[in-house]
Amino acid sequence: MRLHVRSFTLTAEPQSLRVGDTLKLRIAIRVDENVLQLSNVTLPDLSGFDSLGDERQCASAGHGTQCLETMTLSPTVPGDRTIGPTTLDAIDARTNKPSRFATNAVMIHVAALPGALAQPLFRNLVKPILILVLVGAAAYALLWNFGRRSRRSMPIARPQPETPRGPAPPQDPLPGMIAALRADRARARVNAIRDELRRRVGAKEEETLADLLARRAAGDNPNLADALRAIERAAFVDDADLEAAIDDALPILDRLTARTTPPTTGA
Amino acid sequence: MITQRNQAQPKQLLDALEATVVGQRSTLESLLHALIAGGHVLLEGPPGLAKTLSCRALASAVGGSFKRVQFTPDLLPSDIVGTRIFDQREGEFTTALGPIFANIVLADEINRAPAKVQSALLEGMQERQVTIGLETFPLPDPFVVTATMNPLDAEGTYALPLAQMDRFLIKALVDYPSKEEEARILERFGGEPPEMPRDVVSIADVVRWRHEARAVHVEPKLKRYIVDLVAATRKKHDYVERGASPRATLAIVALARARALVDGRDYALPDDIRAEAPAALRHRLAFNYRTLTDRVDPESIVAALIASVPAP
Repeated sequence: MRLHVRSFTLTAEPQSLRVGDTLKLRIAIRVDENVLQLSNVTLPDLSGFDSLGDERQCASAGHGTQCLETMTLSPTVPGDRTIGPTTLDAIDARTNKPSRFATNAVMIHVAALPGALAQPLFRNLVKPILILVLVGAAAYALLWNFGRRSRRSMPIARPQPETPRGPAPPQDPLPGMIAALRADRARARVNAIRDELRRRVGAKEEETLADLLARRAAGDNPNLADALRAIERAAFVDDADLEAAIDDALPILDRLTARTTPPTTGA
Repeated sequence: MITQRNQAQPKQLLDALEATVVGQRSTLESLLHALIAGGHVLLEGPPGLAKTLSCRALASAVGGSFKRVQFTPDLLPSDIVGTRIFDQREGEFTTALGPIFANIVLADEINRAPAKVQSALLEGMQERQVTIGLETFPLPDPFVVTATMNPLDAEGTYALPLAQMDRFLIKALVDYPSKEEEARILERFGGEPPEMPRDVVSIADVVRWRHEARAVHVEPKLKRYIVDLVAATRKKHDYVERGASPRATLAIVALARARALVDGRDYALPDDIRAEAPAALRHRLAFNYRTLTDRVDPESIVAALIASVPAP
């Protein structure tokens, strides 16, 4: 979309609140053109907030359009948070070039819940119980550790006790998909990889490859941009050219996974 | 004089056109895509934006026959298609063919002539033949009409009905150049008339490109995407009274193939369809009165309709 962007702002009201309170986050865009809606607006990261509502409207405003998006949010964790900036990808009518417009960022201070536990009841009853539980847990940990050392001193080799695991890191599905494509050179495999690459760059449903490249969705990763191009070709060539397109795409995909796969640590 | 013979790639023709017409890349691309897709072009934009120059440059670069008709309120159908003239020496009627008999016809300010003249031209555009008296004459092949229209001066104009607009494969909007492009126009021409590219390609090349374009592969899911796009224009809409015809579906696929060919591909991409859809759809939609009362830009309606359909 070709736009003269006059203003593009992000505001929050209030900027200081407690966990569970609500705040209004407003994104206001003023353009010279008469438009019904603005696509390609990328909202900021709102993790740590529950979304309670989202309202969008565009209205004619003199010579142009004023679009306003109001989100009602509720913070779930205390602390200082910076929201934004929000971005808009469009052809800048002043320069005729694809551009990314960005709003300001806003700082939100979220205080912890004072809650009922801070009341005298907590001080008089719950606090001693909590101390007892902590002392008990510490004693149990000491005993467990003592028992573990005793077992270790025994001469018989035993399997190492499993260390407690956190949530498993998300597996990168791409290497497996590439291997599957290598084994079975089918269009469906190509399409699956294309879907995965599009998911990686946050492609919206209506976005085409040109949109993604124009908004630099691949960031500074030239391999990702090349992979997007190569897999696009493989997804749409004639069946007779599919083999050659896959041949061209595989090394590019390999380069991509070589760069994106985290290095493995030695034993 | 720019003379580049025996160069037969569409991109070379585009480059040659850009050497003459600065700052109108998208207009030139539209002209080239329509030429390859075998359709007619309607160019709309304010005066002074090189609409006529673009058409003349294309005709000159292609090397076929070129005729220009300035549409005026007193124009007659016979001024377009030709007429029967009585030859006193021979004592019989002969046929004088009109300016429509050319490979590229520039209908300048098409909306300044009355409906019957427009009809005469548009009939030829559709049928690719013209009947004068009792005789029917085929029009040359390729035959491309490039018409220009100025949207600002409504006085003394005759709006083209939707059915006649539908005959144009595309309607391209010509916009002002950027400051940088305007500075380049000043540098390059400095008030001198621009040089026309001469015979950069031949008519035979254009015919060959058309054959090649028809062989460009369009995946079935892209065809479904085109059908979905056109169907989206027919859904109930606040501002659209009537959606696009199946002719729009055919136009988009032909233009997507042409765009792919110009880009050096033998397969079409979703990008080709997304890029060509606005030009194929904008003049085939009937917008209702609310578009005017709410002062909504029809172009943003077309863009929103296209964006509402997920790309494959």
